[in-house]
Amino acid sequence: MDWYFWIFAVIAVSAALFTVATREALSSAMGLLTVFIAHAALYLHLHAPLVAIFQVSIYAGAILVLIVFVIMLLMAPEERAGVIQANVSFRSFGTLLGLCLIGLVAVGVKGIAVLIARRSLPAGFGDPSVLGNLLFRRYLLHFEVMSVLLLVALIGAIYLCKNRAWKHKERV
Amino acid sequence: MEGWVIAIIKVVFIWVWVLLIATVMTWVERRGAAMMQDRLGPNRAGPFGLFQPLADGIKLFTKEEVLPKKAHKVLWNLGPLLFALPAFSAYAVVPFGDKIILGGKEIILQVSDVNIGFLYVLAIGSLAVYGIVLGGWGSNNKFSILGGLRSTAQLISYEVPLGLALLAVVFVYGSFSLRDIALAQQGTFLGFLPNWGVFKQPLGFILYMVAIYAEANRVPFDLPEAESEIVAGYHTEYGSMELGLYLFGEYVNLVTLSTLVVVLYFGAWHIPYIDISKFLGPVSWGIVSFLILYLKVAFFLWLFVWVRWTIPRFRYDQVMGLGWKALIPLALFNLFITALFIQLSA
Repeated sequence: MDWYFWIFAVIAVSAALFTVATREALSSAMGLLTVFIAHAALYLHLHAPLVAIFQVSIYAGAILVLIVFVIMLLMAPEERAGVIQANVSFRSFGTLLGLCLIGLVAVGVKGIAVLIARRSLPAGFGDPSVLGNLLFRRYLLHFEVMSVLLLVALIGAIYLCKNRAWKHKERV
Repeated sequence: MEGWVIAIIKVVFIWVWVLLIATVMTWVERRGAAMMQDRLGPNRAGPFGLFQPLADGIKLFTKEEVLPKKAHKVLWNLGPLLFALPAFSAYAVVPFGDKIILGGKEIILQVSDVNIGFLYVLAIGSLAVYGIVLGGWGSNNKFSILGGLRSTAQLISYEVPLGLALLAVVFVYGSFSLRDIALAQQGTFLGFLPNWGVFKQPLGFILYMVAIYAEANRVPFDLPEAESEIVAGYHTEYGSMELGLYLFGEYVNLVTLSTLVVVLYFGAWHIPYIDISKFLGPVSWGIVSFLILYLKVAFFLWLFVWVRWTIPRFRYDQVMGLGWKALIPLALFNLFITALFIQLSA
């Protein structure tokens, strides 16, 4: 019995349930924070300290901070997210997405015997320099495609917002 | 077994030490402020008022905890804890001296020398904002919420130049381990300049200094608690030891950030041109390296006080403009130049 795994897995799953079930936006965000940190702990357990650190510094430290910023900007502490949660189309769409995800996991389970078999780690596994070498030598093209994709998304978002802001200005 | 005992002793030692510095800092801050404003400051409790932090602590502990009627109970109580926790845990990978040999056993003066030490500090530092956010939101007070809002925006904006400036240091020394970086700063380059980060990364150092003032919510970046606009920002509603945790966590943060400046840019425990470790025994070198490191840290802690009473607070749009329009482009430029230089000189 791997207690370390079970403790953090239970924390992650229950925090995820709390995230979708609670009606308070910021409490929900804090639930998500718990999920991220539990994930980081699990990555550490899987000998991937660098991934664990990125999980904390990027997901918890940057993306979630932005989400929290938007919550604080647009909502009031006593406001509840009941309207969104009661929306039938949101609910059905969410169920559909969730089912798709479960289906994907089920497909993944097929190869689980290979995954959970014990094996020795290659030398320097999880080391930043090894990861860097992989990213910038072997997977350089994938890496660059990803960065271009992000850049395109960024420029697109700015263009769309600017466009709307200009139109808004003209109307005023 | 022995390894565990040593680790626990190191943790307890550095914890007490950082708490001690943070406590003394509250006194230094008030006396320093008084000095710059040509008045005396707290001078009643003990010699030079040195027991003032103790008196403040007792006062905060014995005060009644008041929960505002409309506050969110859980978030309100979580706020100060989540603020203090990252502040206390960031020190786990920061070295506090070279090494000491006791009973034939070499002990590194650092709680844990992990090879991603550097990123750990960044990750933990980025979590401190949640304490502020929860405090501001949980209070259910418009000033508190504004303080929390400003804090999130500021942290997001200044974490980027901070991380980029630190990345350039990693380029130069080729390691994520803080101990490796500290060790690499011995000796000189170009014949006369010490091997310190500040000489190899002058622009990076300036960027880092500016960014840590913003990260620590210190003047001139103390907009989350600007008293002339939003009373006390995120901790307006807090009192008693919950307020104490906020104030104290801030000083612990200052100690961590100052130690990082010294370890990364000011040669950690090295003194330029002289290698003292050759003249001293293994035990005394351990103690001396510790003292040298904290002597340098003391200067940067004093700098925080110095700046606080010298530079007025920025306007909000100035803070954002500086972060996005000046610091980030400069940090990217610095990174590019560093990478180019390393590539050409390799």
